[in-house]
Amino acid sequence: MDASRSLFIPVILGTARMGRMSLHAARLVVAELGSCAGVETDLIDIAKLPLPTNDAGEAIKQADFSAKMSKADALVVVSPEYNHGYSGLLKHVLDSCLKEYIHKAVGIVGVSAGPFGGTRVIQNLLPVMREIGLVTIFWDVNFSIVQKVFAEDGKLLDESYIRRIDKFLKELIWMAKTLRQGREHISLD
Amino acid sequence: MAAVDNADKMICSHCKVEMNHHCDKIVYNVDAQDAGKTDPSLGGIIEEFHTCPKCGGGASRHA
Repeated sequence: MDASRSLFIPVILGTARMGRMSLHAARLVVAELGSCAGVETDLIDIAKLPLPTNDAGEAIKQADFSAKMSKADALVVVSPEYNHGYSGLLKHVLDSCLKEYIHKAVGIVGVSAGPFGGTRVIQNLLPVMREIGLVTIFWDVNFSIVQKVFAEDGKLLDESYIRRIDKFLKELIWMAKTLRQGREHISLD
Repeated sequence: MAAVDNADKMICSHCKVEMNHHCDKIVYNVDAQDAGKTDPSLGGIIEEFHTCPKCGGGASRHA
């Protein structure tokens, strides 16, 4: 593996809802990723992706999003829980690519106003991630009662999340490095 | 995705080195022009995925 190449691990904010607290969670993960040596990151806000809704799948692939997914070594998906599920728009965005995801790591951050921290949306996202070729890690981050974790201006009120995110990111980075080595050097044949 | 030459070993057009074939995935939602290429034992088309060991760029093709 060319160690001089940084890992690129973008964070996908999986909601377009007004007043979304998940934005604070996504920004925190981006900040923590940005402090990791050898890692580049970016915040991808699905509310800002100009995807049409009169078709679906790779037919509506958006060049900039596709390029970022191709460049990525791993992804973080930050998702709130909508009636135990993920947003339709997040699925619409994820479905717009396929080959870009193959054998890359993904970690999921769940966000909820209730006590379960998005555990159900994470469970519901796992089979989707598997089918599109992403490799899920076994660490999650669960933002429970998120309105008490962040102030309205986004200030983190509960510092314990830093350690949880750190453990999550260490596993994700390890998996990203391992899968990059596999993609580039370990043949299927 | 990086453009590649469609030879037995895929070649990264950017780095001119052989790419690593690391994955086969079955694709079910094929276009009409690809319908005849469907593997009847698998029910879809096998898509090969290759990655350049130098730049990390990826590419794919039908098997």
